[in-house]
Amino acid sequence: MANLIDSITASRVWRSFFRHGWPDTEINRSLVMTTNIFFHLHPVKVSRKSLRASSTWGLGVIATILFIILTLTGILIMFYYVPSTEMAYDSIIILQTKVLYGQLMRNMHRWAAHAMVLVVVLHMLRVFYTGAYKPPREFNWVVGVFLLLMTLGASFTGYLLPWDQLSFWAITVGTNIAGYAPLIGPKMRFMLLGGFEVGQNALIRFYALHIMALPLLMAGAASVHIWRVRKDGGLAMQGGQEELLDIE
Amino acid sequence: MAVETKDTKAFPRGELKTYGLMELVRGTSPLVGKGPENTVFAFPIVAILEALLAIGTTLFLLLFSLLRDAPLEELANPDLTTNPAKAPWYFMALQELLLHMHPVLAGILVPGLVVLFLIALPYLDNDPADSGRWFASSRGRKIVIWTALYTLLVQAALIGFDEFMGLRGLGAASPAILQFVGPILFGVLLLGLPLLLLWRFKPNRREVMLLIFTVILVSAVVLTISGFLFRGPGMHLYPPWNMPDGYNPWSSL
Ligand code: HEM
Repeated sequence: MANLIDSITASRVWRSFFRHGWPDTEINRSLVMTTNIFFHLHPVKVSRKSLRASSTWGLGVIATILFIILTLTGILIMFYYVPSTEMAYDSIIILQTKVLYGQLMRNMHRWAAHAMVLVVVLHMLRVFYTGAYKPPREFNWVVGVFLLLMTLGASFTGYLLPWDQLSFWAITVGTNIAGYAPLIGPKMRFMLLGGFEVGQNALIRFYALHIMALPLLMAGAASVHIWRVRKDGGLAMQGGQEELLDIE
Repeated sequence: MAVETKDTKAFPRGELKTYGLMELVRGTSPLVGKGPENTVFAFPIVAILEALLAIGTTLFLLLFSLLRDAPLEELANPDLTTNPAKAPWYFMALQELLLHMHPVLAGILVPGLVVLFLIALPYLDNDPADSGRWFASSRGRKIVIWTALYTLLVQAALIGFDEFMGLRGLGAASPAILQFVGPILFGVLLLGLPLLLLWRFKPNRREVMLLIFTVILVSAVVLTISGFLFRGPGMHLYPPWNMPDGYNPWSSL
């Protein structure tokens, strides 16, 4: 058995995938982090204190996980959903009643969406009240503000898609608020809805934003955001490591 | 290209190298001050913690989704307005504000200023000395607690006042006063009073930010709860457990 494992991990195929040995030495543990793109978003070493629950409550990580869950359940729902005012509502009914685990998929997508808005806000509160927005993390805070706005946008555009009374009137009320801006308000609302009222044009626009534009932008921004945590010297911790990166 | 300088002599260009020394700068690396005794290898502990969070989050969502179905009402009907017609809960603070002031204030100016404040925050308060410490100090914690209590009471009182009496009840009639002057005055007082009080204790910037942010946060929470939970038909205030027409605010999640 040990022989078999050895011969697998020594094979050219295995070693073309993983360019490091078993992670039981310091050099190999570093290589795990630096040779894998997902781990590479993390630092090689982290401060002990940053691992304590009370440092972050894991909220940034949970937001990332919710985003991944939303992507996966969203893809499954897309197999059935039709973005037309004639068929959208029926396709949701079919998803719920005829598709195996369809109702469960929709439930998970819906609740994860609400949870993500809540968790992202809580994450922002954690960052604010620990003062983790201060130099050198100003830029990452600003990236975070845009992530929050995009999270709200993604949730809002998804709200219209079931095309029931709840969606229709919530989006009507919500986009009316945008229409109040002096001068550009009505134009902005028209652009968002593709018309003066919530109808087929609005549905297809919200759909495109919801399944493509916003998730792509968010994935990009979240990658920058998490990578930047490493580049800013790991999490903000007390202990004299501040005034980092003051390159002149 | 191939100019010989003092630098290229000291650091000759390697034949196979695709990079070269560009410049020497002074600076500290991100790990300065984080002694080796304070750090651990991220692998495997961070991977394990993240996996645990992923499993926990997924299980929680799965369980919740088995217990509660996502809502689905009747097919959309543009000719039949629901009463009340509410935005999603995360925009309810804005919709609640709309009940109290001119739409340009509630829909554009206030949210615009909040977003601007958030973006400007790290540039307004940029002393990293106390970064990474919850509430900065025990004084900071006190400021947050008292500000939160104050905002909770005043914001709830303002909502109640506007619903049951309002400036109209005090005899004001001009739309400019009702829609602009009054609300702006209340807003300035809401933020200004505690700031004035704090000023007497010679606060640093972090403490000022703690106060401003907490006023915004607690206001948003109170407005959201009021709009989401307490507004019923006609967008009037009702106890959430006793709404007319069988309206259930939770059904709009
Ligand atoms: C989609 C939304 C977001 C995701 C996925 C995300 C993800 C993360 C992750 C994984 C971390 C590492 C530490 C932790 O878990 O707390 C982090 C840190 C950070 N986040 Fe976010 N975040 C999001 C939104 C925001 C928002 C809205 C803000 C602020 C406005 C923000 C500001 C920051 C800052 C400044 C740090 C560094 C904190 C420190 O060094 O202690 N993020 N984020």
